[in-house]
This record gives sequence, C-alpha cells and structure tokens, in this order.
Amino acid sequence: MVRSELNKRSPLRVFEKSIKGGVGKGHIGVLASKKGVGKTACLVHIATDKLFRDRHVIHVSFSQKVDHIINWYEDIFKEIAKKRELEDAVDIHDEIITNRVIMNFNSQGTTIDQVLTSLRAMISDGNFPADSVIFDGYDLASSSTEDFGKLKAFAKEVEIEVWISASLKGEAPVFNDNGVPEELENKINDLDVLITLKYEGDHVHFQVIKDHDTLEPKEMTLKLDPKTLLIARE
Amino acid sequence: MNTDISKMRNIGISAHIDSGKTTLTERILFYCKKIHSIHEVRGKDGVGATMDSMELEKERGITIASAATSVNWKGFDINIIDTPGHVDFTIEVERALRVLDGAVLVLCSVAGVQSQSITVDRQMKRYNVPRIAFVNKCDRTGADPLKVKDQLIEKLGHNAVMIQLPIGLEDKHEGIIDLVTMKAVYFRGPDGEDIVVTDIPSDLLAEAEEKREELLDVVSMFSDELMEAMMEENVTEEMIHDAIRKGTLTQELTPVCLGSAYKNKGVQSLLDATTRYLPDPTEVTNIALDLDNDEKEIILESSLEKPNVALAFKLEDGQYGQLTYIRVYQGHIKKGSELYNTRSRRKFKVGRLIKMHSDHMEDITEAECGDIAALFGVECASGDTFVQTGLNYSMTSMFVPSPVISLAISPTDKKAADNMAKALNRFTKEDPTFRTFVDKESNQTIIQGMGELHLEVYIERMKREYAAEVEIGQPQVAYREAISKVAEFNYTHKKQSGGSGQYGRVAGFMEPLSEGEYEFVNKIKGGSIPTEYIPACDKGFKSSLEKGSLIGFPIVGVKVTINDGQSHTVDSSDMAFQLAARGAFKEAYLKAKPVILEPIMKVAIEGPTEFQGNVFGAINQRRGIIVSSADEGTFSTVDAEVPLSEMFGFSTTLRSLTQGKAEFSMEFLKYGKVPKGISEELIKEYEEKRKKEAGK
Repeated sequence: MVRSELNKRSPLRVFEKSIKGGVGKGHIGVLASKKGVGKTACLVHIATDKLFRDRHVIHVSFSQKVDHIINWYEDIFKEIAKKRELEDAVDIHDEIITNRVIMNFNSQGTTIDQVLTSLRAMISDGNFPADSVIFDGYDLASSSTEDFGKLKAFAKEVEIEVWISASLKGEAPVFNDNGVPEELENKINDLDVLITLKYEGDHVHFQVIKDHDTLEPKEMTLKLDPKTLLIARE
Repeated sequence: MNTDISKMRNIGISAHIDSGKTTLTERILFYCKKIHSIHEVRGKDGVGATMDSMELEKERGITIASAATSVNWKGFDINIIDTPGHVDFTIEVERALRVLDGAVLVLCSVAGVQSQSITVDRQMKRYNVPRIAFVNKCDRTGADPLKVKDQLIEKLGHNAVMIQLPIGLEDKHEGIIDLVTMKAVYFRGPDGEDIVVTDIPSDLLAEAEEKREELLDVVSMFSDELMEAMMEENVTEEMIHDAIRKGTLTQELTPVCLGSAYKNKGVQSLLDATTRYLPDPTEVTNIALDLDNDEKEIILESSLEKPNVALAFKLEDGQYGQLTYIRVYQGHIKKGSELYNTRSRRKFKVGRLIKMHSDHMEDITEAECGDIAALFGVECASGDTFVQTGLNYSMTSMFVPSPVISLAISPTDKKAADNMAKALNRFTKEDPTFRTFVDKESNQTIIQGMGELHLEVYIERMKREYAAEVEIGQPQVAYREAISKVAEFNYTHKKQSGGSGQYGRVAGFMEPLSEGEYEFVNKIKGGSIPTEYIPACDKGFKSSLEKGSLIGFPIVGVKVTINDGQSHTVDSSDMAFQLAARGAFKEAYLKAKPVILEPIMKVAIEGPTEFQGNVFGAINQRRGIIVSSADEGTFSTVDAEVPLSEMFGFSTTLRSLTQGKAEFSMEFLKYGKVPKGISEELIKEYEEKRKKEAGK
C-alpha cells in the first residue's frame, strides 16, 4: 500500500470523525485510563499518524530513558508498515522521523513552566514547526488547574494541538454520571476532548466523554488490538 | 616480576574528558611507589602528569595517545593503559580495550554519566570488558556519587551497586566507608598515603547499614553460598568479595567505588577493588584466526607451554626508534627469540624487551602470556600479530571505521617535505583511522581522519615532533555518490582504425544496492559474452565506481547485472570489454538518477538548561535534526543528527553560545542524502573546478 492510501484508510480517520475532525489547534485532548491499559501506545499511534501526514510532532515524556520512547515509535511504525504492507517503508520511516522530536524531563519536580520554556525554545529557537505536542507520563490528575490553564494558554498562543495521557489511580477508578473520571472533574471545563479507555471483555474500548462543547458519553467504533497495540476498527 | 598469572591485571582507565582520569592514573603510580612526587595535569610546577608523555598533551592538559605502564600493588602486577577521552581518538580507546582484561570507568561526581562515558561504555560492551566504576571528584561542589550510581543504572543499563559510601562530600570529603568490611577509611598524610581505618562514625552508621543491605541483596544473586550465609547470618568478607567478583567478571555487576584523586582520597581502595574484582588474563577468552585453516577461530590459552601469540597494539616513536607495545596472549616471548609477523610474513628477532612506565623503561628478559611489554626496533604496523614460527594466526581484526573528513596539506619547504613524509608514515602505522594519499589530479597530499580535532592533532604533532611545517587547505567532507533508480545499458565499444581492432558489447542494468558497496551479477546465457571476458566486465564496472561524474567522489551501493552482449573472434579482448563496461556504466549512470550522500554525525551536546534555546538554534542552523532532548533540572542533553559538513568550527560556536559551559561529542552515524539545493551547489562547484583545470 502506498502512503496516501494508508493515510486514507487509517482507523485514525474514524477516531477523528468521532471528535469533530480532531482536537484542533489551540485545544487540549486527554486520553484517560488506569495504568497499563495502553495509553502510551495510543498516543504514539496518534503521533505516528500525524507524522505520516507530514505534520511535526513533539513528544514530551517524563521517563528515565529516551530510548524507551524511541522504541515505542519504532514498534508502532513497524506494526503499521507490516499490517498495511507499506511500500518504501524504510524511506518513509527515515523521512517522517525527522519531523519528530522527543523531549524528556526526568528530574523529579519538573514544573510546567520549565516544560513550557523548553517547548518554546524548541519551537522558536530550534525553528521546529510543531503541529502537535504529545504529553505522556505527566501527572495530570495531581496537577493544579492553574498549571493546566498555563498549558492551555500556551497551546493557544503557539497554535498547537495538545494530547495528554492521564493515568487514573487504583484498580477501579471512579467515574461520575457523565463518565468523567473523578480525578479530572476539576479540569473538565478547560479540556476540549476527553476519551477514556476501558477493558470490556478481552478488548480495550474507546469512549468519547467530552467532544469540544458536548459533554455526553458516546462509544467509538474502535478498539485497541491486543497483539499489535494499534488502534483498530471494531 | 610476578610469575603467578592469577596476580596479573591488565586494566584500562576510560572516561569522559576532564573527569580526572589522568590525575587518577598519576595517583595510582604514586601509591604503587613508581614515581616520587605527584605532578598535576596543567601543574603549577610545569612538569605535567607523568602519563601525558607527549608535549602536546601536556600543553592541552589532555591525554591523546595511550601509554602503557606497569605497577605493582600488594603483590599484583597491574598494567595500566591510559586512554584518551575525545571521541575523535576513539580508535585509541578501541585498541586499548582490545588488549585489556578489565577497566575502571571514571565518572565525575558532579557531571555524572556524560556523553563520552556512554560512547566509551558501548565500546567496552563490544569487547566484553568487565568494569568497575570510580566516582571521582567527590570534593567538588555539587558532588553526588549516589546520583551517579543511579545514572549508571538508568543511562548505561549497568547493575551498579555502591561498595563504598563517602564520609562527607564537597569540601568536607574526608574518606570512605567500606561496605564490605564496614569500616571507615581515612587517607591522611600530605599525599594521602597513611591509611587510617576506624569504626564508622555514628552519624553515618544507619546509612552504611542500609547500603550494606542493598549491596548484599544485589550481590547475593551471584553466590548461593552468600545467600545461605545471609539467612544464617554468618556472612564473611571473603564471601562478599567472591560474589562481587563473580558478578563483575560476567559483566552482570558494576561495583562502584568513590573518592577524589586530586585530594588523595579513595585511590588505594580502588586499587584493592581492581585486584580483587577484575579478571586475571586466564579468566578472559581470547580468540585468534587460523589463517591456514580458512580463518577458523582458535581459543588461545594463557599457558607458558603453548606457542607464542602476541598482538602489537600500539606503536610509539621514541628517541631510540620505534617502540611497539605488545600484549602476549599465549606462550612467553624471550629476548633474543624469533617471532613471525603474520601480516608482513616476515621473521624478526626480539631485541630489547622492556616494561614501560610512561617515559621511563625497565629492561626485561621475557614477557609471559597475559603480560603487556614493549619491543624496540621492530618494523611493523599497529594491529599486527606476532607468533612463533610455524603458526599462522591473526588476532581478530579490530573494528576500524572509515574516515569521514579529509584535508589537503602541503609542506612549506623541502626539509618540511621530507619530515612530513616521515611523520605521515609513522602516523598511518600508529593509527588505522588516519590515512594519507596523494591526489592524482591536484598532486596534493591528502590526510583523512575521523574529525576535525583528529586531524588537527596530527598536524600539531607534525610541527612539534617532526619539525614539519605544513600549509593546510579547507577540510573536505568525504561525500559519496549513489544511484536511486534502475537503469539499463547496452553499449558497444568499437575501434577499428588501424592496427588490431577492439570490439565488445555489454548489455544489462544497474540498480541501487541497500547493503554493501558493489555487486556484480552475471546472467549471460548462451555465451554472448565468452566466459573469459566476464572478469574484464566486472573490472570495468568496478573501476567506474572510483569516481562519480556528479562531484568526483566514489560511488557506493550499486548492483550491476549483465544479461547480454556480443564479442568478435579477432577484435575482442580483456581491454575491449573493460572499456565497454566503463562505457556502459557511463551510459546508465545518469539515467539511474544519481544522488550525493554525505556523512551524518551523531552529535550529543551537554550543558546548562538555560542555554537550551541557543543549542536548539545552532543545530537547526546546521541542517541538524534534533532527535531528543533530556532535561535533568539544571542540566540538559541534546541528541542530534547533523551533517559533518556543517560541523566545522562548531566547538567555537558552541563555546560562544553557552559561555563555554556546554560541550559536545560527535561520531559518525551514517551516510545520508544531501538536500537538493546543496547538491546542486556541489555539482556546480565541481563543474567549475573541472573547467578551470581543463583550461590550465
């Protein structure tokens, strides 16, 4: 399959369709679930899909080693290329990774201000025309609404789309009647898109909780493939 | 001289530049009673540290060439190789690692695991060198040896464990706590030579007990005996030492020592750890290739009874002629005995045999298996294998990267020309990554190497050691040309004007080859080209690769298939088919959409986070791609891929952008396509140069 065809047939088109075409520039999307469900895989798939479409992505992580994140991207790319029998996969890989930067913050107590300063430096001084920023491993649930506000202001100012993963504590996180996780209730007004991931049987299913101005749970016709960890049609 | 091989250690001291390894080596020599006073690198007394034997190294305060030296510590013979810290000289490091049995990885207690430590560690892994870590500079402001231990785990993936704890840090650094003996060790006297062992100070006891538990937990994985003893609570020091040794030898454990070489703290304890935990020569597997038996791998035995096998790993030019450092792997080499160089296929007699202590030497009568020694006046190159007559072994070839940068040099006068020739002859023997040749077209001498600094150092050495003043041209990147599409050819070479004629027709296609430089496939059926002329076709295509028509650089990655042709009973010849193949290549090359490739370097920049923006900007301006940035609070690291052609003068730029607070390392990563605009410029330049030359 050629690249343009792959982009057209990507399950991410279904994903975008269910949230009014995507999160959009200047907006924040959140992917929430308890630990170990597959948030990182989803975010990397979302990012890789953008890279396939010539967009520039900054992946912000808070882990110990950068290699670990690079390996995620390599694995997801390989799975997509294999599944779709992508033509010229090696060349495409080499081309798209030039549009991706990984910024890792591994000291304890990194503040949102520090992260935003570095992002600003990458975008303006580094002349990196970022379209999207992916935040993985950021402790969103414990962060203050003020910090979240700063992030939102930043997204608006530099016109980027932000995706954040939110790790919900415990084995059985509590959700309110609208499907909003308790830990994110104080930020529900500021975030633009909220999607939750839950196990149903042996599959992980996606549910849109907030879709821009609509706060009403609705199922997405997508699942996470347990073998490849790719987002796939149901 | 020790004849007990179990008491022999061959160790290297490897580290990031400026983590203090030269000072550490100096202290080791001092404590082993080989030198009588301690000189600092960049010392006030102007003498300079003993290991920095070259004048240039003294001036720059860095160690460039590795010098081997032998010391004795508590009945153990330790051969130490001091290794350079700049990536531009990694061949020196690689070569040293080849002959080592173990290594001490020196880390700065403030800066921790830096980019160069990562490179060096990767090299050590490649040669399976067991290592112990020494966290140096614990007297510095901001010293944090435990953080460095964590970085060994996180950044280098070591199973690192503290076997010592500091007694005080920064200006209060007084000594160490030995977690095996559970004693405090102080280093008193003007040079720290008086070791005072006391009970652990009460305020540090709780921490020491906690860390000892951690140590036992980690190392008991390597010893069932220790695990049982822990349950029965009768652990002995010997059991712990044995377990640490086992883990270290299999490279599954990295014991971490600490101290401050500059302040004379912890060096003797490091020596104890070196002799205790690092392997003796019999505990390391060394492999040779049997050249008489299809390069079959032979495991060498550290036995005096076996025939001699030794490797020349380092050449140095001294006042008495060429000094060749060797590592003896098998047998024992005696003064006056005969050896055979398997590369040059020449026999030679062992004249003077010596043990080196940097600039001082000791005459010896024999060197036994496992030992490192030096020979005088032997004509050889670095990496040669010496064996007893009758054997034909070669030690496994060392990994030698291709040079990525070249520079034209021309001597200023006749005397300089003679000296330059001598110097180049020496350097190419010493360093396989340093190459030289005379360019046929410009008639200029070209030197090639692994980076700007690499070549700069050799030019400096030419001036200083050989009095060869040379003028240098602009550094030139080693570009390559490659094809990107399949293209067919069908070319007839015909010459029938007077004398015997020439005739040959070659048809087929060329295509890009992703791995390897050149492949030739013969698919001729029915003898349209007679078999005898096929090698001539191959030769013709191969010779076309030497110089591409875009910018005159070698062509790589081409697969040529021939499937048709024609010959003439009288006029065909080898020469005719060679010329036909060359013509065919020329015909198809431009149709195959050739591209220019350039060396892309992997660059790591470390510095205070406040300058991050400047660093990002500098990479961006140099057509670089930022792969990742790691922010560790006040300090950050940026990994990038940058074309070599854009890296000239980067050290100066970086210094001015970051007030000298950032540093970088760089190594060759891959060849990558040159962007269209730049490619066009290069082609234009080449055309202009050719026109100019044609007009001459």
